[in-house]
Amino acid sequence: MSKPKRILVTGAAGLVGAEVCARLLKAGHRVSGLVHHTRVLVANSGRGVASSTDDRAGTVRLVTGDVTVPRLGLDDDTWTDLANGLDLIVHSAAITDFGHPREVYQAINTTGTAHVLELARERSTPLVHVSTAYVCGERDGMILESQLDVGQRFGNPYEESKLAAEQLVRKAAAESLPTVVIRPSVVVGAARTGAVRDFKNLYVVLKLLSEGRIGSIPGYFDACVDLVPVDHVAALITAVADDIDRASNRTLHAVGSSVRMRDISDVLAEYPSFHVPRYIAPANFDPAMLSDLERAYWHRVMSLYESYFRRQQHFDDTAAAGFRRHKRLPNGPNHLRRIIDYAVRAGYLGAPLPSVAEALSRASQR
Amino acid sequence: MILDEAEISSLAAETLERIGHPRSVALILEGSIAEGFGNSRSDIDFLLIADQEADLPTMPTIFFIAGRRVEIRTRSVGQIVDHLHEVNGYVGHTPRRVATLDEHLLNRCQRLLRAHVVYRPDLVEKVRDHLAYDDFAVVMTTWWAEHARQSIRHSIALLALDQVESAAVWARAGLQQAAKSYLARHGETYIEPKWLSLQLDRLVGDPLVERYWQTINAEPGAGEEIEHTRDCIRLVADLGVPGCAEDPQRLVVARVPAVTTWQIDDQVHLVRDRRDVFVLGDAATRVWRRIVWGRPLAALMADAERTGVADPGELIAAYLRYGLIRITWQGAPISPRIPMAAPLGPITPAPATSSPILGVAGAEPPHPRAIALLPLPAPRFAAAAMALMWGNFMIENALEDLQGALDREQWRVAALTTARAVNGGLRALLSAHGVSPLPPDPELLHRLDLLPDGHSHIRLLAERLYATVATTEEDARLLLTLLREYVTNIRKASGGGAFPSSFDSADGWQRTLDIGYDLLRLGAYLDQQLPLDEAQDLLSSGGVQPHARAGAAAQET
Repeated sequence: MSKPKRILVTGAAGLVGAEVCARLLKAGHRVSGLVHHTRVLVANSGRGVASSTDDRAGTVRLVTGDVTVPRLGLDDDTWTDLANGLDLIVHSAAITDFGHPREVYQAINTTGTAHVLELARERSTPLVHVSTAYVCGERDGMILESQLDVGQRFGNPYEESKLAAEQLVRKAAAESLPTVVIRPSVVVGAARTGAVRDFKNLYVVLKLLSEGRIGSIPGYFDACVDLVPVDHVAALITAVADDIDRASNRTLHAVGSSVRMRDISDVLAEYPSFHVPRYIAPANFDPAMLSDLERAYWHRVMSLYESYFRRQQHFDDTAAAGFRRHKRLPNGPNHLRRIIDYAVRAGYLGAPLPSVAEALSRASQR
Repeated sequence: MILDEAEISSLAAETLERIGHPRSVALILEGSIAEGFGNSRSDIDFLLIADQEADLPTMPTIFFIAGRRVEIRTRSVGQIVDHLHEVNGYVGHTPRRVATLDEHLLNRCQRLLRAHVVYRPDLVEKVRDHLAYDDFAVVMTTWWAEHARQSIRHSIALLALDQVESAAVWARAGLQQAAKSYLARHGETYIEPKWLSLQLDRLVGDPLVERYWQTINAEPGAGEEIEHTRDCIRLVADLGVPGCAEDPQRLVVARVPAVTTWQIDDQVHLVRDRRDVFVLGDAATRVWRRIVWGRPLAALMADAERTGVADPGELIAAYLRYGLIRITWQGAPISPRIPMAAPLGPITPAPATSSPILGVAGAEPPHPRAIALLPLPAPRFAAAAMALMWGNFMIENALEDLQGALDREQWRVAALTTARAVNGGLRALLSAHGVSPLPPDPELLHRLDLLPDGHSHIRLLAERLYATVATTEEDARLLLTLLREYVTNIRKASGGGAFPSSFDSADGWQRTLDIGYDLLRLGAYLDQQLPLDEAQDLLSSGGVQPHARAGAAAQET
């Protein structure tokens, strides 16, 4: 490891942020964590990350702030203290779940990045910016780490806001600020255990499909998404923090393995209590064909993920390979199975719903 | 021994005289007679050991000498030393690993180590030095104990499933295996079970032997089977086999790789190893749908009972027997097995014999509790089911077109359309019986001879329809009547009675498409191409007619 650094992690309470804090702390760095409301940091394993408000050794010093407001909502002393006393900033604060108004993504993901850059610029503190591989939008094919704005169309305002944030980071880099962009794909449970602290995004989709809340979705069997274990993302960020000079001005894909829609169908079929969705050609999918209840789930949740069911994207990670110390996951379906198994063990997935006949029978018994 | 030295020498000399063999061989008498068991009908088993490295044939040669059946096998020193070394490599290993030792290998080693030497004791001793008998006895003690443990754990699982009779069978099997382990600990390693009683007799005065006979010979009356099973389980522990406490909380339901669930319309099908297809009846489905990997078996039973299905344990036990689920002991596989009698692993039931095999939603289960194996491999099942659906679709489509052609007195168009409807029906009928791939259309009628029942009435109707060309309104009415009769007969014979009337309503159309999508995902799982280009088009277009105006299909329906 390089000599200990003083590092600020924004979004320290988030899934990736907390895991990064835990790893940086373990590696001997002095870590400050910018948090919004949360006062407790929990690593992905579920274990607490030692934290304090007074910079005690061996703990993450918690700093309460808000990336959406100038100077992160910090008082002058704290701002100055951070601006002068940091060797590195890891900016992982973001809103990643779908379904919010465009302005929310803009405020947190784009404007938030601008505010963090403001702090970094004070003393030209190197910045590791956690973006998303899906700044590529709906563009299919092999996505290179060097590519950013190629006129792509976006699947949702989240992707758009993250692209805008990356553009701000690139601009700062062009003005001599040392920056690294890390682009995780869909962040899921740990590589070995499948464990995940929060069940969001993909997990919500899996829940609705496996419970048969929605029986049909518009998608192609050969469309694919990339799943990356949260520990692999955190490990890459930590590795980059240790080697920031070499990583400077690079963009790294933090990606795992590709999972086709067909794999999702095949793997869901391995669980007796699960339903398996029907894939319908997207051009011909009409929510009107769904039952009333299905349609409600479609409009409220599933439609937010619609474009991912038809994308055929693969992510090159040549640059990232020069920094990561783990092997990229070789088998997407295996990892999908592992994260589903964990979600079943945790009780998030798998509890079979009673059939209509069973429910009626129970009701009549009561 | 039941033979004295002189008898053995005489039999040995006569046997060797009859076979060609290398010089300077050792000869041993092995098996039950050498062990001191046997009777007047027992075979005489000789093993000839050639002092060479090169392999010798292992098939025995059989003679009948002095009214006795004499078997002589030949092996080289090299072969035997390899066997002994292999077993020696397992000394001190975990029970689970020791239990993977092949029973025939162990049997060969045991017979050699405990044989009566006839010629060349020096060579026999030299060979035996490669595996100490005490070490072998330890291996056998462990090997039997592990088998006993697995049998008892399986028995405990069956008890938890309320399958008392089966539980008792496995408890008794486990008890016999525990007895063999106990015997091996006392130096009695003969493997085959037939002389177990004489082996136990040698442990004179052992109270556990007395208890064994009382337990194994018990004839429990009605309601006493559970207690009898528990007696067996307790005795297994007392015979020195740990890890078999009756603690159902340790039992966990686990996945079997390559077992998948596919619902076609409302009908649930299971595919095992991408090869076997089981169709579930309603009760079987309700229990299957409660299975969650990683949950305790007790929780599954409690949940399954809430479905209202009677004796859900019987269904879960069948899933277990067919290798559709596993039950583990806190994550460790349970692998019950009767050595020297049956291979490890799931069994496969006799295939269902219902005819036709397929209906419009896949196969029809014969009864609500059915877990029926279809007599079709999975890829042909998926292909035939799709072709059946498409055949019915063709009928619907042709009927619609025919009506239009007749209305406009397009008689030749009507004749071709009639042939298309007939072909669709024949496709459906052949597919329903599992014919896949289908013969080409011109041959369809002739290939009704592939079906167990010749369907002579359908054949007759088809021939008449092929030959009919309407030229008047009266003809047209007769043609439609005939065609309706044909379709009714086809649907009755092909299980397509429930086929949705795709052209009558949006719901029927949607249900037709949904069945197609259900089959499509199964076909994808099986790496199958769709059997028909039209079906591919239908599903990839979401059912939109190619020449309809955009949005018109939805409005019209």
